[in-house]
Amino acid sequence: MNLSINSNYAPAASVIKPHFIFGAIALLVLSLMIILADTTLLGAYFDSKIIAITHMAVLGWTIMIVFGALYQLIPVVFETSLYSEKLAKFTFWLSGFSVLFLTYSFWITDYTRLLPYAALLMFVSLLLFVINVILSYKSSQKKNISSRFVITAVIWLAITELIGTLIAFNFKFNFFADSHLHYLKIHASIGLIGWFLMLIIGIGSILIPMFFVSHQLDNKKLEKSYYLINFGLIAISINWFFIHQDFINPLFWLLIVIGIIFFISFVYDSYKKRIRKVLDVGMKHTMISIITIVLPVIVSLIIMIGFDLESTLLFRVSTLFGFTVIFGFVTTLILGQTYKTLPFIIWLEKYQALVGKTKTPMPRELYSEKIAHAHLYIYIFFIIFMILGILFKKIWLVRIGSYFLLLVAILYNINVFKMIFHKVKTIDKNE
Amino acid sequence: MNKAEITNFELEILELLKNVMDPEIEINIVDLGLIYEVNYDGDKKLDLVITFSTPACPLGDAIVSNIKEVIKQKYPDFTTNVEVVFEPLWSTELVSEEGKRILGL
Repeated sequence: MNLSINSNYAPAASVIKPHFIFGAIALLVLSLMIILADTTLLGAYFDSKIIAITHMAVLGWTIMIVFGALYQLIPVVFETSLYSEKLAKFTFWLSGFSVLFLTYSFWITDYTRLLPYAALLMFVSLLLFVINVILSYKSSQKKNISSRFVITAVIWLAITELIGTLIAFNFKFNFFADSHLHYLKIHASIGLIGWFLMLIIGIGSILIPMFFVSHQLDNKKLEKSYYLINFGLIAISINWFFIHQDFINPLFWLLIVIGIIFFISFVYDSYKKRIRKVLDVGMKHTMISIITIVLPVIVSLIIMIGFDLESTLLFRVSTLFGFTVIFGFVTTLILGQTYKTLPFIIWLEKYQALVGKTKTPMPRELYSEKIAHAHLYIYIFFIIFMILGILFKKIWLVRIGSYFLLLVAILYNINVFKMIFHKVKTIDKNE
Repeated sequence: MNKAEITNFELEILELLKNVMDPEIEINIVDLGLIYEVNYDGDKKLDLVITFSTPACPLGDAIVSNIKEVIKQKYPDFTTNVEVVFEPLWSTELVSEEGKRILGL
């Protein structure tokens, strides 16, 4: 017998809401940056504009929403309260400033005067987040495969940031034995797989069955996924850092891919066993995101195996890898999960004290489903246009695609701010 | 109050609880099968045993508050205790025919 007191553990809405506001605006800024970058998007993946866009996407947009959602979900996943709400608020302001500083440093290609300090600030802010989550985990009553995924992801985030900061300092002090591009590859791979993928599996393994209302799922698939992804990532990182035997990397990569397949299989089981047959707009985004994981898997195998691609094509395929992870998989998921988290956060804040006393709207009624559906369909066009544009080097496709993203960002912002500024509405019970 | 009257009152409470919705699934908690027991002492005390569709339900407290408030509105001098249990774990077999119809099962 257990008493569920998760909403007692939930942090104040004032801790979470600023993250969604920042994230939504960052998506808007990101779409403008992509429009401004224009032909640069078809050049080398390590161009400073592409790196600036990547950091705005990863740190300004996705991480901000992920941090906000995670503060709300820690009570659900760990069954404990967040270690410190004050620390979370301070981390928000520091990371918000740092991401703008860092992105600006990349955008203007100031790698020696500004970048190291921006990277250091970012490192400190992410470390504060890591400390907050680890200390919450320590007092957790529930340590299972989902919470293990989350805490491991957080450790990979710290490693990602450490490598990123070292790369930034290397521009000033030049102490690396290899080219910085070698470390950039490790930084990106650990960040995308160790942090984003593992976090999404950890949170997804709780939320997806919860939202589908599906039970009796096989957690062994998650266990296998956990060990395969971690073993593959640790092995490939050691090889990249110390052994430098590139021919063996596809084998390690394959382990990661099999780990991902186990997670997809878990989600598929949940989908098959769901009692909610009709998918709402949040879950439609989520399912599209899960299917989209296939894209970076295919692209990464092409890069690993090589196929003797000429260098400019290889650069574009590398850009495509980052694009399919960040926009195909992660952003689609975050757009959808916004509708599975923010309405409930706002609803609990505004209506928890009123339930039963008067008829209240449902969380789903706090945003426009029409707008959410509209940006889902436009977003699919954005993905298709960008992939084709980058792959076939057609700037007109990229340009149309980037305006689609701007439209998505505007619609998404309308819905987010509709929720943020929601005024309490009570409905007469006799109506 | 005799035993039959108590049972009738418990059924009345169950009907009253159909006004409490699960905010995520948007079905009332009775048809969703979340109410395991309603025990009335024949005077002014109600003991309810309920569950949630998932132990990690972040809206659990809101559902409990809603139950207490709905009962308080109709029976202001009653004391209502709500115990939340996860044994037996909730499953789709507990959903009523009406609930299944709404869910499209």
